[in-house]
Amino acid sequence: MALRSSMSKPLVGVGGFYAMALDTLMLLPRRPFAVREFWLQCWFIARVSLVPALLLAVPFTVLVAFTLNVLLIDFGAGDFAGTGAGIGLAQLGPVVTVLVVAGAGATAICADLGARTIREELDALRVLGINPLQSLVVPRVLAATVVAVLLSAIVSLITLVASFFFAVFIQDATPGAFVAGLTLLTGPVDIVVLFIKAALFGMAASLVGCYKGISVGGGPAGVGNAVNETVVYSFMALFVLNTIITAAQFGS
Amino acid sequence: MTSSTTPSRVHPRLRRLFSGWVGGWNRIGGQTQFYGFTLRSMYDAVVHYKVEIVRLIAQMSLGTGALALIGGTVVVVGFLTLSAGALVAVQGYNQLSGIGVEALTGFVSAYVNVRLLAPVNAGIALAATIGAGATAQLGAMRIAEEIDALEVMGIRSVAYLASTRVLAGVIVVIPLYCVAVISSFAAARLGTIVIYGQSSGVYDHYFNTFLITTDLLWSFLQTIAMAIVIMLIHTYYGYTASGGPAGVGEAVGRAVRASLVSAVAVCLLGSLAIYGQSGNFHLSS
Repeated sequence: MALRSSMSKPLVGVGGFYAMALDTLMLLPRRPFAVREFWLQCWFIARVSLVPALLLAVPFTVLVAFTLNVLLIDFGAGDFAGTGAGIGLAQLGPVVTVLVVAGAGATAICADLGARTIREELDALRVLGINPLQSLVVPRVLAATVVAVLLSAIVSLITLVASFFFAVFIQDATPGAFVAGLTLLTGPVDIVVLFIKAALFGMAASLVGCYKGISVGGGPAGVGNAVNETVVYSFMALFVLNTIITAAQFGS
Repeated sequence: MTSSTTPSRVHPRLRRLFSGWVGGWNRIGGQTQFYGFTLRSMYDAVVHYKVEIVRLIAQMSLGTGALALIGGTVVVVGFLTLSAGALVAVQGYNQLSGIGVEALTGFVSAYVNVRLLAPVNAGIALAATIGAGATAQLGAMRIAEEIDALEVMGIRSVAYLASTRVLAGVIVVIPLYCVAVISSFAAARLGTIVIYGQSSGVYDHYFNTFLITTDLLWSFLQTIAMAIVIMLIHTYYGYTASGGPAGVGEAVGRAVRASLVSAVAVCLLGSLAIYGQSGNFHLSS
């Protein structure tokens, strides 16, 4: 019996998550839409994510550019540094964005909703006839999706600039060849996929954060654990999504 | 009329800017002091709190609560690196076949996995699982005033809570890194051979030719350095959490952000220092 309950617990969690995600999707077109909350959350997520995204993008980019360029220079193909930067951009941009949106945005969402849950504010909302999914979860999920797309644009820009400077000024690549090689393997399709990835990642991370937040139990330690689980599950979701989308892109 | 009793000061904007700087500067100083104290207290931790270290190692490797149900930290790390390795297969094979040299996928796996993906992924997974867990635990203890109670009982709280966690994190990362490397190699190999149908002989030939064992050791050291930095940051944010249940959650978020940035920075600086401008490839052998 005990074994069965411990076996079914993760399944209950997964089922609850999908149920909430479906409810949220069904509620998306339903009025009234919490416009004010949406803008507040957009501003909030952008504010907590922007600086870490910049701080994370630069070393990540330089690390990738450095590793790839060492290889290219050894082959005598240092002028193709731009190609490496293009591949790095297509792969790194959405990943860095979502590491930040999950690490900064989703954790903050989870902490906020979790604190409200254990103060029974969500139950109070339900008593007042307000659906917390509609008034709290939907605007947060939408806001995280929008901000993830916008952030991935900024991160891509930084990725390009940083790898250009690193390749040209430190590893002595030719600037013209860098720019010419940029689009050798990376095309418009990759950029579209990049934005689709960013949007899906942002949505997945914020859904995980919201689910963990509204299903918190057990006081302050519970909120801390929920935030911890949010980070773990959203990172796992990110890696799986990334592999699947990349495979689908090349498979088609 | 305003109800405040203090008279307004001259140059309020300048004053605010200045006090903001001083506050930030003091925070950096406080953090540095905490890190120094934690590292110094490691000796105390080893001498006096051996049992606690062993308990934490068990807890960190298998995870607590809901994380233990899905197999703990080991499974999370393996899972993350598995999908990253699969990504190497997908991206590497397709991009290389774009220029007609898809036979070199094994080389990409041996090179990119060791130098880039395994350490970075291990760092990310470490920050997400063990690190965030430590912040959540310590934050909850701080909110419930358990840390103050420890101090009252005469237990060195930094040595007992922070130093033991840093030590346990460094010990746990050793098997975790091995899991990370093995699963990323396995995923890249399986993806290339089974899904894309490359012959295993071609893959293994290029993989074995270009795999550099010393690089593997260096990236191992890099991961340990990242683990130390991550655990220090996470214990600091947990130890100084404030503001009730929401404060614990916020502390976890801030700690994850800070530790991700510094872990990647440590990895970058390590790579620049260790590998330099040479690739060390076995091109002529």
